[in-house]
Amino acid sequence: MDDREVGVSTGGENIEGEQPEPEPESVTEETTTHDEGVELERTIGLVGGLAIGIGTMIGAGIFVFPGLAANQAGPAAALSFAIGGVIALLVALPASELATAMPRSGGGYYFISRSLGTAGGAIVGLGLWLGLVFAAAFYLVGLGHYVVAVLAEVGIVLSLGPAPPHVVLGLIAGAALTALSVGGTERTAALQNVIVVVLLLILTGVLTYGVLDALGVFGRQTVPDAFFSKGYFPVLSTAALVFTSYLGFAQVATVAGEIKQPSRNLPLAMVGSVIVVTVFYAVTIFVATSTFGANQLGTFGETAMVNVGRDLLGLPGAVLILVAGLLATFSSANASILSASRSIYALSRDALLPRKASEVNLKYGTPHVALAMAGGPILVLVATDSVKILAEVASFLHLVMYALICIALLVLRRRDPEWYDPDFRMPGVPVLPAIGAVASVALIAFMNGASIIIGIVIMALSYGWYRYYAEDVRLKGDI
Amino acid sequence: MTRPSVLVPIQVLEGESLPEGTPELLANAHVVLLGYHVIPGQTAPGQARMQFEDQALERLDEYEELLTDAGGTVDHRLVFTHDAQQTIDRQIAENDCLAALVPRAVADLDDILVAVRGTVGLDRLARVVGGLFAGRGIDVTLYHVTGEGETDADVDVLLDGLADRLTDADVDPDRIDTRTDRDVKPVDAIAELAESYDAVVMGESDPTLATFVFGLPADQVAERFLGPVLVVQREPQDE
Repeated sequence: MDDREVGVSTGGENIEGEQPEPEPESVTEETTTHDEGVELERTIGLVGGLAIGIGTMIGAGIFVFPGLAANQAGPAAALSFAIGGVIALLVALPASELATAMPRSGGGYYFISRSLGTAGGAIVGLGLWLGLVFAAAFYLVGLGHYVVAVLAEVGIVLSLGPAPPHVVLGLIAGAALTALSVGGTERTAALQNVIVVVLLLILTGVLTYGVLDALGVFGRQTVPDAFFSKGYFPVLSTAALVFTSYLGFAQVATVAGEIKQPSRNLPLAMVGSVIVVTVFYAVTIFVATSTFGANQLGTFGETAMVNVGRDLLGLPGAVLILVAGLLATFSSANASILSASRSIYALSRDALLPRKASEVNLKYGTPHVALAMAGGPILVLVATDSVKILAEVASFLHLVMYALICIALLVLRRRDPEWYDPDFRMPGVPVLPAIGAVASVALIAFMNGASIIIGIVIMALSYGWYRYYAEDVRLKGDI
Repeated sequence: MTRPSVLVPIQVLEGESLPEGTPELLANAHVVLLGYHVIPGQTAPGQARMQFEDQALERLDEYEELLTDAGGTVDHRLVFTHDAQQTIDRQIAENDCLAALVPRAVADLDDILVAVRGTVGLDRLARVVGGLFAGRGIDVTLYHVTGEGETDADVDVLLDGLADRLTDADVDPDRIDTRTDRDVKPVDAIAELAESYDAVVMGESDPTLATFVFGLPADQVAERFLGPVLVVQREPQDE
């Protein structure tokens, strides 16, 4: 790839008189280059990118949702996951194309603000921040359930004041993760990679055994079940619920400015992580429903997979799944907090949030204000203990962004401005992105009324904030 | 003679400054002055840039002036990174640097120790030593640790050849001295001998299992020798 000129230029100022940071001079395979010889090194490789995508997604889909999904949709929950995977792929493709054209931090927010304008950008950007906050809260409640299950396994029953123990544990974990992000200077990225590899190994082992078992290799009768035991509609509403399991690929784009060889690695990491987790989800649901049958699985709740592990491999199986579940929900929550902080930085860089929000502290070199703006609301949300609402609002806010990503791609392809020159061009334009946009919005329609209302209120508030705070900021490129 | 390009990496926001004597050491060099700032993974490089760019550039300008005043030519870069080694390697490759400096203070530059490993990379070593120190009244000692299977005659050919090349590059032949040792560990021997010199020039070796475990010899020497070390870089590999 040649050095890419950055063709958009920003302007205007917000209510405090802050202007968007000037765009960099050019973007290369290894750096983002500003004037006066200032460069930003790209340090995340393909493995790191995949680890962010997979690490964010896999925690929810495998370790929190199978029980809840089976309860709602029966064995057809597998189909719900498949629908989610197809929609995620339909969005990952345009997101990849846009990311190779604009490999800058902020991901979906950046694409939309540069192609559809500041208002859309503000709604998506603030929505992305809060969407990640909702997602992180959801993962932390899941984490709390796993800790409780671990302790129950060794015979300890917790009683921690008036709140349910998993909520208290989720709060502690959330506060600890935020503090760790502010004060930890270790290479957390390397740790994340290791966690994801360990997770995939455990899962591959347990699931392989489970598939062989379900196919009768070990001489066991599987539980027969009608596929659409709960009817057709729940398949779609479950797809809307479990879509939270597919939010991670967009997080790869939020660190697009730090990915090495972005023209190659961004599409591979985004599309690759969606495909990997979809396969794992489908196999997990197949194994889980053949082990117990959907009805019984549905009664196990958030930690249903522990029962599946125990049934397949005895106590070691349960322990393996517990360890994996802890690692997975931990890494999902961690990745979401960091991505939320990156989104806040992108907004603050563009003067949609006060410059102060992206301040880096001198002692640790970490963005303590942005991390607090992620961690604080997360704790409030964990305290609500409403797993389904948290998951759906997170999905709602992401789906709005996904629909706009598809629209942004259609707009850019049609107008074809000079600066738009992606290295990766998705196939099937305009049909596939159009389907992606429609499917993203359609999925929202199958959510709980409460989730939809919360989502719409957040969007309205975001728009109101833009009108109040940053109406004069111009971010749109020439198109 | 073209100026050898030398990378001078400085952690500009961590209180590292251009050590005393560096401008004189590099008076004949083309300096690629790399200010870098390592940030934790939680922070986007651009985020650190927004806050620290002005301060860092101001310091780099100061150092640039010192280097220019002493006679060097200078190009500066300021890089915000998660990985210092990757940044340094990239800068060496992009700017085609013959050598990288481990920046340390040096009072008077009277004599330098040049560790010669073998024929590989000899050309670049000669360009660095000749380009930086020719005609400056500096004593140059060429040092080689004779390995197994090497005869004294081989070593004489090696060191005399280098001495000739340096003479061609206008290093005063009277100031060139050679020295060899046998049956010693090169890293220990170089580090020990270096103590009686003002600066060390040595090559970067190929990474092997031993360098993976113990670190590169140049790093090991730099760790023990308190003065500046110029590490001559390997020929860039064409992909």
